This record gives sequence, C-alpha cells and structure tokens, in this order.
Amino acid sequence: MINRIMIFLAVLMIWSPPLSAQTGPLRIEITEGVIEPMPYAVPDLVPANSAAGELASNIARVIASDLSGTGLFREIPANAHISRITSFQSPVQFSDWKAINAQALITGSVSVDGAGKLVVQFRLYDVFAGQELGQGLQLVGTTEGWRRIAHKVADQVYSRITGEGGYFDSRVVFVAETGPKDKRAKRLAIMDYDGANVTYLTDSSAIVLAPRFSPTGDKVLYTSYETGFPRIYELDVASVGRRVLESQEGTMSFAPRFSPDGRQVVFSLSRGGNTDLYVMDVSSGSSRRLTNAPSIETAPSYSPDGSQIVFESDRSGTPQLYIMAASGGEPRRISFGKGRYGTPVWSPRGDLIAFTKQSKGRFHIGVMRIDGSEEQLLTASFLDEGPSWSPNGRVIMFTRETQGAQGRASLYSVDITGRNLRQVPTGTGASDPAWSPLQN
Amino acid sequence: MNTGQIISGIGHTGLIILALVGGAFQSEPLPFEVTEVTAISEEEFAALLAREQSPEAMANVDTPEPPEEGEAPELSSEADIPLDLSQPEVAESVPPDQVPDLSEIVPPVEAEVSDEVPELVAPSEDFAVLAPETSLRPRPREAPRVAPEPVAQPEPDVRIDDIVQPETTPEEAPEVAEEETEATSPEEATTETVTEADEPSSAPTRSLRPRTRPTRTAQPAEETEQDPAQTATDSTAVDDALNEALAETAEPAQPAGPPLTSGEKDALRVAVQRCWNVGSLSTQALETVVVLGVSMNEDGRPNVSSIRLLSATGEAPDQAYETARRAIIRCGANGFNLPIEKFEHWREIEISFNPERMRIR
Repeated sequence: MINRIMIFLAVLMIWSPPLSAQTGPLRIEITEGVIEPMPYAVPDLVPANSAAGELASNIARVIASDLSGTGLFREIPANAHISRITSFQSPVQFSDWKAINAQALITGSVSVDGAGKLVVQFRLYDVFAGQELGQGLQLVGTTEGWRRIAHKVADQVYSRITGEGGYFDSRVVFVAETGPKDKRAKRLAIMDYDGANVTYLTDSSAIVLAPRFSPTGDKVLYTSYETGFPRIYELDVASVGRRVLESQEGTMSFAPRFSPDGRQVVFSLSRGGNTDLYVMDVSSGSSRRLTNAPSIETAPSYSPDGSQIVFESDRSGTPQLYIMAASGGEPRRISFGKGRYGTPVWSPRGDLIAFTKQSKGRFHIGVMRIDGSEEQLLTASFLDEGPSWSPNGRVIMFTRETQGAQGRASLYSVDITGRNLRQVPTGTGASDPAWSPLQN
Repeated sequence: MNTGQIISGIGHTGLIILALVGGAFQSEPLPFEVTEVTAISEEEFAALLAREQSPEAMANVDTPEPPEEGEAPELSSEADIPLDLSQPEVAESVPPDQVPDLSEIVPPVEAEVSDEVPELVAPSEDFAVLAPETSLRPRPREAPRVAPEPVAQPEPDVRIDDIVQPETTPEEAPEVAEEETEATSPEEATTETVTEADEPSSAPTRSLRPRTRPTRTAQPAEETEQDPAQTATDSTAVDDALNEALAETAEPAQPAGPPLTSGEKDALRVAVQRCWNVGSLSTQALETVVVLGVSMNEDGRPNVSSIRLLSATGEAPDQAYETARRAIIRCGANGFNLPIEKFEHWREIEISFNPERMRIR
C-alpha cells in the first residue's frame, strides 16, 4: 500500500508542471506609449513631362501642409533626405528613409497633357515595415484644380494612417469683415479649408450673419438684415443665386440650420418679443413650432441622425444648453457648469457637442458629451465663439476677436484634444465659420 | 458628684490611657559616641608629644637691603600738549532744496485691472513646519583623567582613533578585473503617479528551483524476495502513469530552464513602448486593443516577416496593428536586451497593445 502511495506521489510530481513555468510564448502587455507627431517624408512628385514640373513640387507642398497642419504629423525636410525619388516605379530604398527616421513615405508622379488634364499617382509606404500602406491611387482632374487633387491625396494618407476620414478637401463659408469696428462691412465668403481660393458670395450692402452649409455643400443658409430686420436666405454656392426662405410679417428669423437630410430647416423666430424654435419644410415652406416658452430659444443644431436637437435657452435664468426630440417636446438640460453656454453644435460623429462658454469674463470653446458629462474647455480668450466641426469631427474652427477699438475678428482651428491651435489665413477679418462636408 | 468632677475624672482617665498607649513612658537610650582607644607605651606617648611640639622660630633671617638712591627724574614745568581752543570752521550753509518742477511729472498709467476674480488655489496640504523638539544634550561620559597605560606620542599626521592601525605601504597594483555590470535601461516614463500601494513588490515571487542532486553511483539493489504478481502490478501501474504523464507533458512543449524574471520582462516592455507612438491614431484606433505575435531571432531582433495580428477588439484594427508593428520593428532593429540563455522562453512573444491610458479623453 505504501509503495502505491509513493508511486502515485512520484507520478504526480512528474505530471504537475511547476507553478512558475512559462507555458506557451512569452506574453507582455503594453499600456503606455508616446504621443508625438509621426515623422514622414514627401519628396517632390516625379513629373512625367515638362509641363508637370512646377505642379509636381506644388502638390507635394500642399500635401505636406495638410498633414503637418493637423499636428499629428511632422515632415522631414527635403534637405535631410538621403535618397532621391527619380522614378515613381523604382523600388524604394527603405534603409535610406529609415536612417532619417521617416516612418511614412509618400511618392508620386504628375503628368499634364495638352488639354490641361492633370493625372496624379501616389503611393504610401510604411518605411519600417518595408511595405505599402494600402494600394497606389491615381487621381485625375484639371490643372486649375490641382489643389483639390493635392488635398485628396492628403486625405487618403491621413485616413490610411490614422484610421479616420480626412477633412482637407473641404471648404469653409464665413463672414468676411472689413473696416473699423463701429462701421464694419460684412459679406459672405467661401474658401478652401486652409484659407486658399477665397471667393465672395455677397456684397457688403447688408449685414450678414451665421452662414450654414447644406449637407451636400452646394447651398448655404444665412441671416441678412437686407430689409432692416433679420431674415433667413438660401444661397446656391455655384450660381450665387439666393432666395428668402422665411418671411413672416412682424417677425424676425435667424440662426437657421439644415437637418442632416437637407429637407428641413430649424431656426429661431421672434414674434412679439418672444423667441422660439421652428422647423420648416424646405420644399413646401411650411413651418411648425417646436418650443413654446417665454424664454429665448435659439442656436439649434441637429444630431447626425436627425432625431434630436441641441439648442440654447435662458429658461433657467442664464443661457444653458438643452436637448429635445427633433419633433419637439420637453427639453432636457445638459449644461450645469458655472457660466453661460451658447451656440451648441453637434459633432458629425454624434458623440460630442461643441459650445461657447462665457465664464469669469473670458470666452471659451469647449466640448462635452451629449449627456453633458466630460466638459472640456479647449480655448480661452477675450472673445471666442461660434464653433464649427470639421467633416471628420476631429477639428473645430471658431471666431476669435481681439480686445479694443482696433480689435479684429479672425478664424482659428483647434484639435478636440485642445492641441494644435492655429489661425486660419483669410486675408481680411473673418467670423462665423461654417465647415462644409467633404467634397465629392 | 458634680459635673465638674465627672469631666475632670474623664479627662484624667483619657490622659492616663493616652500616656500608656502612646508610649509616653517608653524611653529610648540616649545616643552615645564610641571611640576606639589603644593602649600605648610611655615611649610611644613621648614620641607622640615630641612630634606635636611647634617648630622653633628662626632669629637670623636676612633683612633685604633698601635700594640705592638714584637720580631723581627731572620735573618739567611745560604743559604736555597745548589745548587747541580754536573754533572749528563753520561749514558753508547748504542751500535749501529747490522745489521740484511737478509740471513734467507724467502721471502713472493706470494698470489694467481685470475684473476677473483670481482663482485662489487652495494649498493641497498644510505646509506648517513644526520646530523640531530639542532634546537635552547628553551628558558626556566621564573620561579617565589618566590613561590606564602610558601611550607613546603618535606621529603628528597620524589620525587619533580607538583602534590602532599599522601604516600600510603601497604595493604593486594588482590587476583589476573588470567587474561585471548588468545592463541597465533608462527609467520608465509614466504618465501618472503610482502610489506605493500600487507599485508591484520587488520581493521575489518565487524562488529558484533547487539544484538536482548529484547522481549517485548505482548501488546493487538488495535482492529481496517479492511477490512476482505484486511486482508486475506495480511496474505496470508505474509504466502506465509515466506514459500518461509523459504524453501529457509532451504536448505543450515547455522551454527548459528558468523563465524570464519580471525585471527582464519589464525591460522588454519598456523597450517596446518607447516606440509605440499613438499620436497619429484616431479616437477609434485608440479604443482598439490588438495582440501581435512575433518570432524572435537569437540576437534579440524580431523576425519582421513573422509579425502577425493574433486578435483585435475595436473599430480600427488595421491602424492599431500597423502602429504596434512599427513599434516592434523600430525598437527591435538593434535587438532587444534579452538573456540569450533563456532564448527558448522568448523565441515566441505575444504582445498586447492596450491604448486605454493613452486615449484622448
């Protein structure tokens, strides 16, 4: 019997693995990393013919400006490059790009034919993996539209590396301001997102306010004092034709915004000293009241799915943010911080709401969850207001006005992390930016 | 009897009782001085008297001679130093200060004062410092005034010490063997404060396995008579058990030798995370956890072609995988610092990249 027990124990000792033994491969978990711009290289594209020589360099510069402007990427300057890309089809010497720590490499070629047709090809490489990220892509356009092609290349690169859509091939409509503060001329203007190609859509004969793009980007709603009272107009961007969208006698209408499907417009209407929210069917022109309160309800903005509306109301005594169903109903307050909240805008992703906050004599642009939690102030200055989301929901553009009689309004952009605050070049003073969706 | 006699009787009776009980009639012997005396002889007494006689006075003491008379110093009638009675020069009167010209004074520019009430940041803790309690200075131990043994005077440069050390003479410098130093790595960067309670204990979680016993020379086993049937049963059971155990242990081929220590694992983890740059990832990719598998070469470099995605949870697995792969390749380009003797333990590595702490919000 004792022998059997001894044998059993011996077998048990042989069979059971030691507690400290490693079974299978070595396993480790990484939970900490670094957050820094990703170094990349974009040498001049290879011109396929002499007509493409200048464009090859210009397109590369626009791509680099787009990527580096996000704050997520850092370009390695051309004078640090070891290799020269002389042929788009030649294999890449990854060791040369590794040596300068370029983690991504963009190569391309440009050709222009006699009819002004522009063809751009590009490839994106993961240098350390020694392979392409995605497949090569060819874009065709006109020489006049070379900037848009460059933006599209940058959008592709951005999307492939970050995993989210780009926003470079988009436009911004804004109010261009000229003249002194007490006699300022305002007119609508449109430009590329980076401030290039500014075009004026209206003259400065009447004050214009708060332009908003349609979901397709071909129309703009705005408020004009052309008749002496604020009225909502709809403007066709291509033809610059316009029409009055809402005109009821004895009322003032303002703060319009399209629904995500573009069929409805929600706006504020002031009648008899009381301001409430209304919704209008664009095709029929019929309006319906959404709120009925003695307080001021304004600055409505749809959720991306069109089911809810966030707006500003002072029904609690101070301007705060509320959410209600798009069909109306009892609103729910979401802002409870100290200060005044206004101009809420729902993120294209649907997860955040950007807003203007006035607190302790300063203005802020901030974001919060749609339930009002995790409020985060991104900026602070004498006057920041009017946020507008980039098409991918990553960047916010807003108005910043400086103090004093010579104060001037300018456009700024900031990442939703609060980093990468930049002024958008507009030439003149600018306010009330509205970011378009990505162009087709 | 009248009242006075009764009181007198009681009082005298109590006095008598008190005297008897209190011991008034008890008397202790008076103290007396005891002096020891010794009987001595007359000679000894005479000798004692002779020593106690006062010494005789000396009559022939030398009287000191008075000093010789010298020349008396001449007395001078001149005054030592004439007093300067002249009046001090009167300093020129200082002109009165001129009245400043206030017309050119520019009034100070009023500083821009913000209406904003500055936020008072409450101190996180009370910084009051208590004066240290002073303790009484210890009384120095009394040192023997006289050395118990005479000590020779030391050389002037010799340091005074309790222990006498002989002077050493320099010898030929021996060959200095280079001390083996362990490889070190920079301190791990962290984004949050880790309290002591959260820090992993540096105590070993397990001890080294004991060495195997030295093999003994086979001794001839004593032949004992056993039941053949019982022996056959035992050997069959042992064989079966051994075969079963060997069959089970053979499946998950476990590397031999001690596994990597937690420090060696940490060094690898730190080396990889230094190159894990999530700065260009989207918010979706920052919510994606990927597990990568990689085969390693013996020189510590990852086999790039072997890097593969084992699992992913999230909406942007491609970008998360590419970023993680880039981290392995970049920081493994020169080889990770891994003990070669434990190669079997890190031949295959699975690395989980969890960006939960790196998220934007």
